Amino acid sequence: MDYTQLNTNQREEMYAEIGIASIDELFDVIPSEIQCVEGLDLMPALSELELQRALSEMASHNHGAHDMTCFMGCGAYDHFYPALIDQLTNRAEFLTSYTPYQAEASQGSLQAFFEFQTQIARLTGLDIANASLYDGATAVAEAALLAINSTRRKEVLVASTLQPEYIAVLRTVLSDLDITITVLESTDGKIAPSTVEANMSDEVAGVIVQSPNIWGVIEDWDGCFSEAHKTLKTAAIAVFNPIACGVLKTPGECSADIAAGEGQPLGNPLNLGGPYLGLLAAKESYIRKMPGRLVGMTNDEDGRRVFCLTLQTREQHIRGAKATSNVCTNQGLMALRASIFMTALGSDGIREIATQCWNKAHYLAQEITKLDGWELIFDGDFFNEFTVKCPCDVTKVVDFCKSRGVLCGVAAAGRRMHGLSQGNELIIAVTEKRTKHEIDTLVDLFGEVAP
Amino acid sequence: MTTFDVTKKHSRGDRATEPLIFEKQVDDVVGVDLPPLDVPETKIPTIMQGGSKTLPTFGQHDVMAHYTHLSDRNFSVDGNFYPLGSCTMKHNPRINEWGASLPGFACLHPLQDDDTIQGALRLLYETRTMLEEISGMHEVSLQPAAGAHGEFTALKVIRAYFADHGQPERTVVLAADTAHGTNPASCTMCGASVQTVRTSNGQTDLDHLQEVIADVGAENIAAFMITNPSTAGLFDSNIKKIADIVHSAGAKLYLDGANMNAMLGRVRPGDFGADAMHYNTHKTFSTPHGGGGPGSGPIAVTEELAPYLPVPQVMMADDGSFYLDRDREKSIGKVRSFICQFGVLVRCWAYISACGPNGLRNVSETAVLNANYIAAKLRERYAMPFFDPQNGNYCAHEFVTVPQQLLDKGVTLIDIAKRMIDYGVHPPTMHWPIHDCFMVEPTETESKAALDSFIDVMLQIADEIDSDIELVLQSPQESDIARADEVSAARKPIIAYPK
Repeated sequence: MDYTQLNTNQREEMYAEIGIASIDELFDVIPSEIQCVEGLDLMPALSELELQRALSEMASHNHGAHDMTCFMGCGAYDHFYPALIDQLTNRAEFLTSYTPYQAEASQGSLQAFFEFQTQIARLTGLDIANASLYDGATAVAEAALLAINSTRRKEVLVASTLQPEYIAVLRTVLSDLDITITVLESTDGKIAPSTVEANMSDEVAGVIVQSPNIWGVIEDWDGCFSEAHKTLKTAAIAVFNPIACGVLKTPGECSADIAAGEGQPLGNPLNLGGPYLGLLAAKESYIRKMPGRLVGMTNDEDGRRVFCLTLQTREQHIRGAKATSNVCTNQGLMALRASIFMTALGSDGIREIATQCWNKAHYLAQEITKLDGWELIFDGDFFNEFTVKCPCDVTKVVDFCKSRGVLCGVAAAGRRMHGLSQGNELIIAVTEKRTKHEIDTLVDLFGEVAP
Repeated sequence: MTTFDVTKKHSRGDRATEPLIFEKQVDDVVGVDLPPLDVPETKIPTIMQGGSKTLPTFGQHDVMAHYTHLSDRNFSVDGNFYPLGSCTMKHNPRINEWGASLPGFACLHPLQDDDTIQGALRLLYETRTMLEEISGMHEVSLQPAAGAHGEFTALKVIRAYFADHGQPERTVVLAADTAHGTNPASCTMCGASVQTVRTSNGQTDLDHLQEVIADVGAENIAAFMITNPSTAGLFDSNIKKIADIVHSAGAKLYLDGANMNAMLGRVRPGDFGADAMHYNTHKTFSTPHGGGGPGSGPIAVTEELAPYLPVPQVMMADDGSFYLDRDREKSIGKVRSFICQFGVLVRCWAYISACGPNGLRNVSETAVLNANYIAAKLRERYAMPFFDPQNGNYCAHEFVTVPQQLLDKGVTLIDIAKRMIDYGVHPPTMHWPIHDCFMVEPTETESKAALDSFIDVMLQIADEIDSDIELVLQSPQESDIARADEVSAARKPIIAYPK
């Protein structure tokens, strides 16, 4: 079914109104030699019942967090979210509207995005946030561009402990722009402030440090950023986990100028990596160079408080080549999900989730290190994720756990981690969803595979 | 013609605005609870403690009420005629939502081993090959997160190709003066400069194209970005000649595929000489726009550009299993965190599969028919610079009107747009691609009755301008709010609620 709604009589009436005898006349403008005469070589149409069967069939060949126990993280996490999120975001008025260009017909989306922006600003401890970007990696790249465009400098310092996908995207985005990326080497799984100091100069636009970092280790944002701030105008860019902001020091509390991160943990399913949402927050001074959609508060002609898209002169549809970014779509529905999540839980709820993540991750780490030959690689504090060294081939561990219905973590090998031996490290994440029983089972499996 | 009675469904004066969540907070009440901690506690070192403490919550029923009230204050495709030109606001089939929310799709971690996600990889591989067939091009990458992201990715691919072929000096990109704003903005993000090519009567000015090529120097040009059908809603009948001119300059032809809704199964971009293009799945393939996303912008390229596509790529092995290829020697690298907008592509697969080859062709034919029908019925009152059916000049899936004779009576385009809101119609795209224009795209999924209602609304507004112009000047009167003061909003921006 192609979802069109015209019958033959109606089509004929419309042809007559236009003054054509057949639909082909409307396509005569296209030279015949490039017209598609044979038709597309695609599978014949499926009815809705057949689609349900086909989709169910394909879905049944996947195993993930729904039918296995998931301890995988590295930028995407299996968190709880309340059922009301799906119900609300599936409302047609949210689902089937577009970018709220017409304020008078879009107050619902506009107010929701304004609330989202405020929540993200408060969550990160910064002044402002945009209405979201594509995902964590693109948010980090936009944060770097924001710093570059604000300072007109040509170098960024990037922690080697940043998620490798983020470093890869930064390289792609900055590669034709004559920007130098200097990678800061880590010491014991984190960046020493002295390493920042050693690489600083007045050519540096921004210093990017992720915490918790790719190994799960909590970085010394305070120390790194105070080194960055010894050079005038250099932006301290914190790459953050929004759940960690519930209980650990926020980017704002560590004097970051810009914060970028992956918003998936806030009420969005794993979805095999997308759609997610990129979070970008900053100090007020960056407002006119922010990329992406921004919703502002204003009044209508009757003096009523209303909301509208604002600062559109930054954007591509007005500014073209001089726009702050080419971003056109935000991740509206994902931002709405995140906003509803934060509203349903509030600061106290997010703090509780964060605290449970902390406690469960630490319990698992303590239990694992009781096993012979299993050890934590780094001494640094961690939040919901940590790295262990397996006493045997990590692939053996992963495959064994998989055969028992457990996704036990992410093997560092093959992920192109920067600057660390790629032996048998396993990065394990524990969310509030994991029960003590599931955690104990994982420890038992580890004991079984490498006794 | 039906006369519409704008009944006072609700009087704006009495209708309270919805308070912000920050104004609703209730202490010691929560919207959702969590199970008690079931493991021993580990103290968080004091020095690390901090965290946000100012996010409000309130009771669960009030959470539902808040967002339900907000949803009441939105026009949508399901609730309103939404002819937003270039945005293709077509029906969003709910089978697509059903499929994407299946736990076997929604609960997959992006770093899982390929052997645990064979069904998902098969869906992606099939989507890839279907999009290749529809484009008539060699290979599709599903990675880009939106159309603009697709432009960026494809331009990077083109630049990488030239760098690899000893022509790094090809850094100029040509774009039509009616191009989407994303085109030049994407060029800037790729470190390319932009030269504008004029259009005349909505078609590329071939003489000017050749002039610009001569001025810039053929050897400096990377690509010409063209939207076809153009943003003015016209198929460029010279497209093959344009491709030849661009190719003889040694450059690549990039198709902005925003308007694929007019071409499905009738023309394949690869057949008219495009070297690279992006799709907008939320436009062409019915994935919901969601208040501004998520989108998804797969790109298609020719065989010579394919080695430079981003990683990972979804592949089928000889034994019929599927895998992600993360090693392409010449790849531009990564453009996003993980594989693709998977949830969006599940919907895209479901839509293409529901339509089949004949259905897709009918989609385009009906989209074009609907636009021409409305144009034919409105052209007496709403002047159309390019639409002239007597002389065989039709539109594609959308049309442009510059209603000068109405504007001359003392209304602005905005006044007409705001009056449309009173009739429950979302205004079309405005002032783009030309000044003082509406760009109207009804899409193929509207019924004839809906098209006729829209036509009646437009004619009635034209009548009102004659009979009661104040009514139009004072509009909207029936919407939730009066006109928003966007100038003050930009002058002193408040984008976060004060603490």
